Amino acid sequence: MAYEAQYYPGATSVAENRRKHMSGKVEKLREVSDDDLTLVLGHRAPGSDYPSTHPPLAEMGEPECSVREMVEATPGAKAGDRVRYVQFVDSMYNAPSTPYFRSYAVAINYRGVDPGTLSGRQVVEARERDMEEVAKFQLETEMTCPALASLRGATVHGHSLRLPEDGIMFDMLDRCRLENGVVIMHKDQVGRAIDKKVDFGKPMSEEEAAKRTTIYRVDNVAFRDDAEVIEWVHTIFEKRTAYGFKPE
Amino acid sequence: MADDRKRMFQKDLEIKFTKAHGDNKMEGGEITDKKVTYYRLGVDQNPRKVEMRKAGQEMADKRGLVGYNPMMHCGGIPLGQRALTPSFISGTDIMVESDDLHYVNNAAMQQMWDDIRRTTIVGMDMAHETLEKRLGIEVTPETINHYLEVLNHALPGGAVVQEHMVETHPALVDDCYCKIFTGDDELADEIDDQFLININKQFPEEQAEALKAAIGKTTWQAAHIPTVVSRTTDGAQTSRWMAMQVGMSFIAAYNMCAGEAAVADLSYAAKHAGVISMGDMLPARRARGPNEPGGISFGHMADIIQTSRVDAEDPAHVALEVVGAGCMLYDQIWLGSYMSGGVGFTQYATAAYTNNILDDNIYYNVDYINDKYDGAANKGTDNKVKATMDVVKDIATESTIYGIENYEKYPTALEDHFGGSQRATVLSAAAGSATALATGNGNAGLSGWYLSMYLHKEALGRLGFFGFDLQDQCGAANVFSFQSDEGLPVELRGPNYPNYAMNVGHQGGYAAITSAAHAGRGDAWAVNPLIKVCFADDMLPFDFTAPRKEFGRGALKEFEPAGERSLIIPAK
Repeated sequence: MAYEAQYYPGATSVAENRRKHMSGKVEKLREVSDDDLTLVLGHRAPGSDYPSTHPPLAEMGEPECSVREMVEATPGAKAGDRVRYVQFVDSMYNAPSTPYFRSYAVAINYRGVDPGTLSGRQVVEARERDMEEVAKFQLETEMTCPALASLRGATVHGHSLRLPEDGIMFDMLDRCRLENGVVIMHKDQVGRAIDKKVDFGKPMSEEEAAKRTTIYRVDNVAFRDDAEVIEWVHTIFEKRTAYGFKPE
Repeated sequence: MADDRKRMFQKDLEIKFTKAHGDNKMEGGEITDKKVTYYRLGVDQNPRKVEMRKAGQEMADKRGLVGYNPMMHCGGIPLGQRALTPSFISGTDIMVESDDLHYVNNAAMQQMWDDIRRTTIVGMDMAHETLEKRLGIEVTPETINHYLEVLNHALPGGAVVQEHMVETHPALVDDCYCKIFTGDDELADEIDDQFLININKQFPEEQAEALKAAIGKTTWQAAHIPTVVSRTTDGAQTSRWMAMQVGMSFIAAYNMCAGEAAVADLSYAAKHAGVISMGDMLPARRARGPNEPGGISFGHMADIIQTSRVDAEDPAHVALEVVGAGCMLYDQIWLGSYMSGGVGFTQYATAAYTNNILDDNIYYNVDYINDKYDGAANKGTDNKVKATMDVVKDIATESTIYGIENYEKYPTALEDHFGGSQRATVLSAAAGSATALATGNGNAGLSGWYLSMYLHKEALGRLGFFGFDLQDQCGAANVFSFQSDEGLPVELRGPNYPNYAMNVGHQGGYAAITSAAHAGRGDAWAVNPLIKVCFADDMLPFDFTAPRKEFGRGALKEFEPAGERSLIIPAK
């Protein structure tokens, strides 16, 4: 019988959404053009070549190495791209994703990525074109609501703050705004002004966000009510504790 | 029970988030609101920031070199894009500006650390034995009193046996002194009151009896060198300064020869053989001597804080005061300055002792435990519940979920603890302390701490920051392993314990767990009865019975520190 990944326990919609994020089988909700993505990431000018840190691998004459033979390099590594980042901030008010589930989604479904998980933000470093693929995947799918999540390279404050009246997660640097019913980004990840308003589409309604979210909340799906997840946490905890038990 | 309960943080958050402070326009709304208006008023909204900006401008004009300028923040977007709000010191009615809880801006915080760093405990018995057996000198209560009179002249920097010596000005070192304590009531009766830490007077009867039994007929000096000396040098200086002055005082008080070989024996016995530092020396990679914060074990911290002798019937309160002191010293000063630098650590630490959010969680736990486990959270030994995995799971889970739900039901509480590291510390400190209170077992409390971390991470899909998460996700495996470098009783762990060395915000929590286990049992001390008695001294500038209140007084500029230099600088 072929192994089928189970990803995550739990019988609630939050648990189901967590499984979806981890599996990578998430719904595409919007289009973001390559140029728009490049603009908001802010690492290079749209249309410009990828800066490189070394020549393409094919030209480098790599040493004999069984690991290199077994593991094919990613497109970015083959081309010699520099390593760059994309960093998301997700509101605790039912943003679809959460830092750990962004990390799991990326680490499970992409190669050559280095996710970093914090409470207010989640960063992925990878070769630039590989990173862009990862960023686009997250921005275009149900993993991201443009009102409750945003790209923030620095000054990330906002994930735990009350929402402003327009529902756009607080951003000290005011990178995103609601204009004519859609969320636009007029600054790049680190808050530098860009010469275009990049349209990320309509915010999710409160109901839709509550349906798609991966965070437990007492006013939506309470963590207390997902007994299977709590039992699983207890099991992990007990096993880790017993693993180190040595009273002498 | 959870929903019916009036939260202890309610009043604090209402004042903080629904009342105007300065010009921050925070009037109105409810602390349960999920939406708010962000006025982006910058630093103009806050009186302290305005004062600081003015000081920065004046300083730049005076010295001709620019300095503090809030417009340097984020390329011209100053702090205060959200409302700048004050906080309450937990357990008090003291409202403070957040800036005033940075230790640089708070004289009480500085003095707490000064008073610990400049303290050493020195045994007298070996010195007395050497005097009697090696030199044939009789030691009596009268000679001890005389010696202490000499020492209290010499310890601050007075000369005793040499001619033509420079001395320190007494008004600069007036915080320096030495008292003694003993478990021998007969000897204590003979000691001049001014020199004695009276265990019978300072501790409840039960604790006093336990302390005296542990100390027995031994006698110890609680020596506090001048704050100004300790600030100018370092913690390792404390025992050296003490040693030199103790040696000189013995020579003077007992009319000894300054050069004979027997005095070398006395010197060792009096100065080095029975010395107890507040903190151990750290390994070379940390490069700190004894009596620096990285070497102060959690057990020592639990003993330094004195709430256990003035409010013994409320062990949760004891643990909460240890949280405050521990977060301040370990996080704000040790990790925040010695190990890291900068200003960011203050807000990790203050979350645990402001606005009663942690207090609410712990007192909720006390009620939960007392209901479910027949009063196990009350002070006592016969009432404790056995430390099993089931008990750890039950208490830590209930505590953590209650705390998480508070953040969800009260968005202003979440906004107050805006970083995951703050929330993780508070939730785990509550879970760990509660488990320790109920079981009287510090390592069971520590186990509850780690379970809380796991539950928090799974509930919210986030925890703290990179390294913080790492340490909290691997720690459960060494809670019950006592192999060298893998595990220790929590009492003997400290800031330099493997995995704790960069554990921001946590170390006050670990100290609280230690404290909770022992205060919950009604123990007179956690690790060292000598340290507990040494700090049971009302003459110390910092009141170790109420560290949180002292921090509040510091923030209000009401705290009078020691070691000031106004005597030797131009008057302003």
